[in-house]
Amino acid sequence: MRQLFANRTSSILLQEKCDEADEKSVSKQKPGDESGNTVVVAPPEFRFMYPEFLPDPAMERRNRLKEKLERIDMLQRRSVVEIPEFYTGSVMAVTVADANSPNKFARFVGICIQRGGSGLRAWFILRNVVDKQGVEILYEMYCPLIQKIEVLRLERRLDESLLYLRDALPEYSTFPLDMEPERRLNNSVVPINPLKVKLRPRPWLERWERQNLQGVEDLNLPQRFYDKAEKVAKPWEKYDLMLQYRKTIPAEEQEKIFSDVHSQLQQQEFKRKMRRRRGTDNEQ
Amino acid sequence: MLSIVFHKRRRLVRRLFFNHEQVRTMSRVKRRTTHPPYWHVLKNNQRQDEKISSDNLRFVREVIQDKYKNKSPIKGSDLDIEKKEWDPKTKRSGVIARNIGVQHMWEKDGKKVVCTVLHVLDNHVIRYVPPEEYAKSIIGAKVFRNRKPLGCLVVGAEAANPDRFTRQYCSLFSEVGLLPKKRLARFIVTPNAVLPPCTPLTAGHFVIGQAVDVYGKTIDYGFQGVVKRWGFKGGPASHGATKFHRRGGTIGTGRDKARVWPGQKMPGHMGSERRFCRGLKIVRINMKYNVIYVKGTVPGPTNSIVQIFDTLLPRRKFTEAPPHPTYFPPEDGTLPQEDIWDSSLHVFGSPSISV
Repeated sequence: MRQLFANRTSSILLQEKCDEADEKSVSKQKPGDESGNTVVVAPPEFRFMYPEFLPDPAMERRNRLKEKLERIDMLQRRSVVEIPEFYTGSVMAVTVADANSPNKFARFVGICIQRGGSGLRAWFILRNVVDKQGVEILYEMYCPLIQKIEVLRLERRLDESLLYLRDALPEYSTFPLDMEPERRLNNSVVPINPLKVKLRPRPWLERWERQNLQGVEDLNLPQRFYDKAEKVAKPWEKYDLMLQYRKTIPAEEQEKIFSDVHSQLQQQEFKRKMRRRRGTDNEQ
Repeated sequence: MLSIVFHKRRRLVRRLFFNHEQVRTMSRVKRRTTHPPYWHVLKNNQRQDEKISSDNLRFVREVIQDKYKNKSPIKGSDLDIEKKEWDPKTKRSGVIARNIGVQHMWEKDGKKVVCTVLHVLDNHVIRYVPPEEYAKSIIGAKVFRNRKPLGCLVVGAEAANPDRFTRQYCSLFSEVGLLPKKRLARFIVTPNAVLPPCTPLTAGHFVIGQAVDVYGKTIDYGFQGVVKRWGFKGGPASHGATKFHRRGGTIGTGRDKARVWPGQKMPGHMGSERRFCRGLKIVRINMKYNVIYVKGTVPGPTNSIVQIFDTLLPRRKFTEAPPHPTYFPPEDGTLPQEDIWDSSLHVFGSPSISV
């Protein structure tokens, strides 16, 4: 099924991802433009792997030159620090320079519950439960204080935002602070964890019954909650093409942006692999 | 009398005295018009549906290109350097730029800094009005009523197709032989900072670390109520308040003067006003794309035109000579450094900060 717009929030995305992931890490080459040169096109997964390269869709604030300059800065920063591919639901560890820590570096492990922002403003939130206290930290991906970002477990969940973990039982947000990075069996597909989380009894921070959450067990609420949710729901929004269009960057622009960025990112990955290989060789 | 005033920068400021005199005089000043001043020449052509064939259209475009093609840029060596020595009282020309957005940068200690990105458009000097002549004009007479008159440099930016402008507007540029520009601006300059017509002005005109003033028209909010426009608190949202949630409340005492004072804060048009942001520091200059990064924010929405010039704030003026009267690329063909950063900023390609 061809998708018209690359929409990060719709659930159709998840199915698409599984289909497209089979062709992962193979950059396609277009048959050629008018001049006869082959145009390298980034693989379609780039819009999921590097969503912060896409600008904010609000048309009043868009400027091509500024976006181009911002992308150059982002690639410069990525050449120094490896910012790996991650999704909401991945368990990550971030090391940050901190003047108040004993070692001057602070390392935090947590599950990514939300990510957002575009360009140099891109951020993600990590959540963990430390000493029975839930802790969430928002990290700005391009902040130069960040020394290292590791992905300990790369996986996705059934929802794009895991804010419901705040109202869930603490075991769903607890991850050992000395967790080791897990090896993936299948490198080409990012697994989707079909876990259904159990929520604590009400009161909750948000009205979860109104949000069509897939990753949550049956909420067991009285019927009046579901009736009110139906009254308040906007089922026509999924048919509203213009709304989707305004929330996303058109596919042609996305191709242009990622083909710009693609070769540099590939080079950086290659250099890192060589460095790692040289590192393991030295150890041997 | 204590009153809380809503500043243009959206910070609550407590003023000890409410100056009725000043507010009364200023409230009668007309702050916006939808038409240009009467001495301006009619600018835009009424679009006529000329049924012109594509071949003829191509020919017209070629003619325009040929006409304006061979204008060679002014070099630094063309100017007489003896007349133009910099001294601390010199006022240099300014530059017309477009505010293309806001980018976050970080300082060397990890502190985040919000920088506005300003794209210096294709500026060219159009003409110079000497001090004696400028002092006779309407604006010049007001500005220099009690002080020594200075000259005025007219700078244009953003070349456009002559078809969209009237003949009178294009004639402003025909003496100089430039493509008509969409935007014009005047900058007050001292006679020793005069530039000949056709001189290009680029981002190199400014120096890293200098302070600049940015003039622009603020965001147009349209007709706004008293809460957004003046920062009134309005009324309670509940507890039985009938139709009093975002209204102004009382507008006078009923006692002294027994009328509403002029300048009483009421709903009305908000925004689209001339404002200056003074003393903004330049933290990065990109010579390749002609872009300046300025620490802080400037008046106006994204993609609006602003004017940038050296600051008037006395403590942040130049102590050493800047590129005077403007920056000219080196004539021996060496390329200038493409991306210049201020020493306080963390360069993105450099290693992460360890505190």
